Amino acid sequence: MTVMQPTDLASRIIPQEALVPRESRLADRIQQCKAEGRPALIGYLPAGFPTVEESIEAAVELGNNGADIIEIGIPYSDPVMDGAVIQHATTTALGNGFRVADAFTVVQAIVTRTNSVPIVMTYWNPVMQRGVDRFAQELAEAGGAGIITPDLIPDEAADWFAASVKYGLDRIFLVAPSSTRERMEMTVQASSGFIYAVSVMGVTGARDSVSDAARSVVERTRAAGGTNVCVGLGVSKRAHVEEIGAYADGVIVGTALVKALADGGPRAVGELAAELAGRN
Amino acid sequence: MTQQHAFPAEERTGTVLDQIIDGVREDLAERKKLVFLDDLKQKVTTVAAPRDAVAALRGPHPDSLEVIAEVKRSSPSKGELATITDPAVLAAAYERGGAAVVSVLTEARRFNGSLQDLDAVRAAVSIPVLRKDFTVDEYQIWEARAHGADLVLLIVAALDDDTLQRFLELTRSLGMEALVEAHTAEEIERAKNVGARIVGVNTRNLKTLEVDPDLFGRLAQLLPQDAVTVAESGVTSPDHVELYASHGADAVLTGEALVRAGDPMGTVSVFRSVGAAARAALRSEGEAAAQGHKWANAPGPYFGDFGGRWMPESLIAALDQVEETFEKSRADEEFLEDFRRLSRDYANRPSLLTEAKRFSEAAGCRVLLKREDLNHTGSHKINNVLGQALLAKRMGKTRLIAETGAGQHGVATATAAALMGMECVVYMGAEDTERQALNVARMELLGARVVAVQNGSRTLKDAINEALRDWVASVDTTHYLLGTAAGPHPFPAMVRWFHQAIGEEARAQCLAQVGRLPDAVAACVGGGSNAIGIFHGFLDDEDVALWGFEAGGDGIDTPRHAATISLGRPGVLHGAKTFLMQDEDGQTIESHSVSAGLDYPAVGPEHAYLSAAGRATYQAITDTEAMDAFRLLSRTEGIIPAIESSHALAGALKLGQNWSQELGEAAREKVVVVCLSGRGDKDVATAAKWFGLVDQDHEEIGQEAH
Repeated sequence: MTVMQPTDLASRIIPQEALVPRESRLADRIQQCKAEGRPALIGYLPAGFPTVEESIEAAVELGNNGADIIEIGIPYSDPVMDGAVIQHATTTALGNGFRVADAFTVVQAIVTRTNSVPIVMTYWNPVMQRGVDRFAQELAEAGGAGIITPDLIPDEAADWFAASVKYGLDRIFLVAPSSTRERMEMTVQASSGFIYAVSVMGVTGARDSVSDAARSVVERTRAAGGTNVCVGLGVSKRAHVEEIGAYADGVIVGTALVKALADGGPRAVGELAAELAGRN
Repeated sequence: MTQQHAFPAEERTGTVLDQIIDGVREDLAERKKLVFLDDLKQKVTTVAAPRDAVAALRGPHPDSLEVIAEVKRSSPSKGELATITDPAVLAAAYERGGAAVVSVLTEARRFNGSLQDLDAVRAAVSIPVLRKDFTVDEYQIWEARAHGADLVLLIVAALDDDTLQRFLELTRSLGMEALVEAHTAEEIERAKNVGARIVGVNTRNLKTLEVDPDLFGRLAQLLPQDAVTVAESGVTSPDHVELYASHGADAVLTGEALVRAGDPMGTVSVFRSVGAAARAALRSEGEAAAQGHKWANAPGPYFGDFGGRWMPESLIAALDQVEETFEKSRADEEFLEDFRRLSRDYANRPSLLTEAKRFSEAAGCRVLLKREDLNHTGSHKINNVLGQALLAKRMGKTRLIAETGAGQHGVATATAAALMGMECVVYMGAEDTERQALNVARMELLGARVVAVQNGSRTLKDAINEALRDWVASVDTTHYLLGTAAGPHPFPAMVRWFHQAIGEEARAQCLAQVGRLPDAVAACVGGGSNAIGIFHGFLDDEDVALWGFEAGGDGIDTPRHAATISLGRPGVLHGAKTFLMQDEDGQTIESHSVSAGLDYPAVGPEHAYLSAAGRATYQAITDTEAMDAFRLLSRTEGIIPAIESSHALAGALKLGQNWSQELGEAAREKVVVVCLSGRGDKDVATAAKWFGLVDQDHEEIGQEAH
């Protein structure tokens, strides 16, 4: 028998066991939103900003005012994908003594006190240092559904594939306007729950208008086989949510919520969430 | 007239060689009347024993390229070449420059030589001497030995097989050896058949006087494996030496180029360096083809368990484009020529290897400095910058962005941008813009915009973060010209490739100047670009110890240092898996060093690998040790080094101490090559403060550039 060397990118990178379909709370929630004829609203807040307690209160406000899914960011010393607002928030959190384990406390509170599905968004080094397996286990035990990995591409994710399968977590990788067709196909296959489509070439931050690239990147992701495609970067208003919701399965809001928290505390987060969800 | 050669007369008639030989025979007949052969034989018993020319031409190391330096007053092709007033003085200069053999033309009519010249040279030098003449009679061989020669010339074209054999036997019976000169495949075969130990290929056709430099390469495969091979004629520039050496020549014979350059000593030395580099490259190609593991074969993306591409998806396409362009360009002769030309004519490569004699006395061992401080812009950084800027042009990018710590890379990038008409933005930690104010002014003078980064620790790592944020948003028009051999693939392998000339040159120069490889190579390591550049020349020389010296700041028993490999753990930062200074949670710890260029909490992934694999050793040098070495070099050698490079100097002092303890006086023969990666002009303000040369409150030196 001859052993065939896999030739395409996806089969070189993704292990077989990661391709087996399985239950996903994230995918279910997005399906449910689709059934209701609306995009999922996904809100981001950094754990520990300005303190762990206030970040919990803000997340609960977010969850109880219309966010279907909540991304809890892990503050990191070198956030290369983040703009000034989120950098300032995460630096403050670190200055106030944030520790990685605090993120699980926030996740657990979301599970207990809201109906939202919590996931974590993190740069990879904090995960690697905790141990990929240990981090995954602790997140699963806290009730988290998966991890968004802004600086981990499937090409480097061998440990993460193994741990995510073992603990039933979703892998949310990013696709970008610059991704080639081949990489889009590979990343779509490597992801589970949903695929994070980066709407602009740039870092996080509220923008007045969402670029045309967003629609195109979603269409290309769908053409590559993506079913649940959510769009992030630059979303700050209800109008953006409606605009993007017309073609994407979910809309991700980050900077605008962090700014609301910084300026008006947890209550302001709840108000903005309700506005974004079209509840007021 | 007795025929010493068997070629039919019609074949020889009219050629220059025949005409010369006719003259030689006439002059020989005259000499035979004045000095009888028996008298010569008598004289041979009284002269000093001959020297081993074969060993001299093989050189001290397999990669050595040796020079037969010729004393030649004129030639049939060019007439009078140079007024050589004193052959002895010239020959002595050749010997001092490192020539293995001195050749003396003794033919009178065309070359204006004489046996008096031979006598004068013999008395002046202690290396082997070649009597270069048109040997057609045994008398000339006795004559050569009687006048102290160690080598004679036998031109295959002028002799039949029997005569050639007989002459060679006579030469060897007198303890001498012959340079057997061939011009064609057939003549090489004849030289082989008589057992020649030194075979020359004369690229000048003696019948037409035309030079064909490619002849050596065409015949190289046919040359006997066990003989010393010599390229003759047409050796007028280092390019020719490189050409011949790259085809395996063990030695070159040259005269005209040495005399005409006005610097016979220096030219011999340059030829030997260039030749050794070319021979090393040839050997390493051969070895790479022949065997498996080679340290130097490290194309990325992984170096052992380190390296890779831990980067946002948004940048992967750009990294792919850089990788593809780099891989194509390094195989593209036009690109290579552009890069070589800029390196030579703009950046001032090759850089010198200077023996630091007074510093060596203090060190207790021989210290040689690889003078990257003499490059344009004052550091090694220009090598990488010119290479990447050329790549950026090829990719159609119009804007360069860069991070900088000490400002050296920023200045180099601003320089390349000015040279190539590109826009340039340099990100620099706000702490560094303060301590390196002079370099900020230099970048601005060159037309770059300098952005002082206020985030995080306000040093190099934060400048990289900010440059990456810029790049994510500008990748269509912009190339991120990363300044060190770190970051995501292809940067570590690519930046190193552009710096490999440092090690290749240093190795060849050390072989030429010291006659052997160094015992150790020392370089400072922040990201590690100068270190990996010089290390690569020596990676597969397992007897050469490689030492990387990290910034120990206040000391590695304090929290204020940048000793990444010594104290860090593996993690990912800025796109690579490597050693990092980080806390338990994986948050990067701020590094500290008096040297802005080493103030980086990670290190290039190939260094992480070389450390983990045990091929290179990394040690921390404190600020105080570095500054002491800074002052010592300034005062013993008149060279003010960059504070970064001073860490390598301090490391060399430690190596010297260790050797002295181990070996006593014998340590003085140990050789360490230090990469002097940059000059210290930018550090004058820091040093003046450190040594208390200015009032602590009086910071005008530091501020004046703003």
